[in-house]
Amino acid sequence: MPFRFLIVDDSELVRQGLRMVLQANPSWEVCGEAADGSSGVEMLKSLRPDVVILDFQMPGMNGLETARRMTAVAPKVPILMFTQHASSELEQHAREVGIRSVVSKTNAFRMVGIIQTLLEEKQINPVN
Amino acid sequence: MSERVNVNILMVDDQPGKLLSYEAILSELGVNLIKAHSAREALDLLLKNEIAVVLMDVSMPELDGFELADMIRQHPRFQETAIIFISAVHLSDLDRMKAYQRGAVDYISVPIVPELLRAKVSVFADLFRKTRQMEMLNHELRTLSAQLMAAQDEERRRIARDLHDSAGQLVAALSMNNGMIQTEEAKLKPAVAQAVRQNTELLEQLSREIRTISHLLHPPLLDEVGLLPAIRTFAEGFAERSSVSVTLELSPDIGRLSPTVEISIFRIVQECLTNIYRHSGSKTAEIKIWPVRDSHLTVQVRDEGKGMPAEVNHNGSGARKVGMGLSGMRERVRELGGKLEIQTSGQGTTVVAALPIVTAVAIGA
Repeated sequence: MPFRFLIVDDSELVRQGLRMVLQANPSWEVCGEAADGSSGVEMLKSLRPDVVILDFQMPGMNGLETARRMTAVAPKVPILMFTQHASSELEQHAREVGIRSVVSKTNAFRMVGIIQTLLEEKQINPVN
Repeated sequence: MSERVNVNILMVDDQPGKLLSYEAILSELGVNLIKAHSAREALDLLLKNEIAVVLMDVSMPELDGFELADMIRQHPRFQETAIIFISAVHLSDLDRMKAYQRGAVDYISVPIVPELLRAKVSVFADLFRKTRQMEMLNHELRTLSAQLMAAQDEERRRIARDLHDSAGQLVAALSMNNGMIQTEEAKLKPAVAQAVRQNTELLEQLSREIRTISHLLHPPLLDEVGLLPAIRTFAEGFAERSSVSVTLELSPDIGRLSPTVEISIFRIVQECLTNIYRHSGSKTAEIKIWPVRDSHLTVQVRDEGKGMPAEVNHNGSGARKVGMGLSGMRERVRELGGKLEIQTSGQGTTVVAALPIVTAVAIGA
């Protein structure tokens, strides 16, 4: 079973880039892409991904509010925030709504590392 | 702006015949002439009308002119109203002095020379007209200045957003592509691998620069999370860029404020820190925000620098010497119905803005 990712980002370029980076790992699969928070929450409900990668600044609902709703729907699915605005302050607010990590958009490979750690934890303590 | 200003002249005399003669003399001035036959009637009319000049007889039964003048001056609305006394008696220097002490602008003795009375009233009517016109112009300027500031805020927000959506996303995509190449670094010639590594550094630098510009233009946390997180992030970045050590004391009880109040406070803090870095020579900056009696908010920014030019607190030309920002700051505070005070000495400067609290909930945001 591949690990499945949901990407929520209003930039198509970033979604494409992320898909490329994630799918470089043959056992990882992007199961869905949403361009805004509301569609992201809906896709989370229907696709049940293993990990959500979420932008912060999007039109309409921002990443924090999206994460709050996602956590209410699927509290065990880890959410990672992928943003141009990574800061300690944002990190604090992100943690309050259940986001596991905030990663700068210029550092996609740090995210790959974080995902690997998450998945290892998951294999040790399967939640689904 | 060429709105006509109506000028009301209140004439007070217990003798109807005298009132008629004043009316005849002043009618050609093109002003509204209002007659009062007693001090009491005059007070009543003053409260109901905006009066430019009060022309009054000194000798009247019940309340005389001096007593009426005292009562007029006690009312804050009439502190500046021009009062001209007319008197057939009480013509000594002492009487004149008594009149001027009560705030009279002139003292005319009977018999009246019509040209003289007309000329004197006309001067004060013109002064009133010009003052009103200036007030209207001032009001228009304030409105325009507030609109300009709001437009500037909106434009900054738009540019920051555009930067994020265009350049920012492109750099993110480029970084990912570059990262993919780096994963295959072993297959590259050393010089190519070196170039790819250099690209990574350049992209990170570019990303930081875009981020800084975008955050200075409009911090994304301000809209999404609120004022205090935006100030904390700004202060953190400022301290890194400027080597000024910033301490924060931000009361957590503030909650979300109206967007206008939040952006204004953010800009005030931003302007103060910029001034500290550019002009004060201070190595420290302290930002405090706290609520006062649920109705007001105090924003205080303090440094230990060399101080500002002395005249800055008088809204004068000194503001220009320390940057356009200071007058902008005053305008922002005034627009929000608040007060800005600057205490400055050779030991440092403290800027204090007291603002009425308008919460996001109160305006239905």
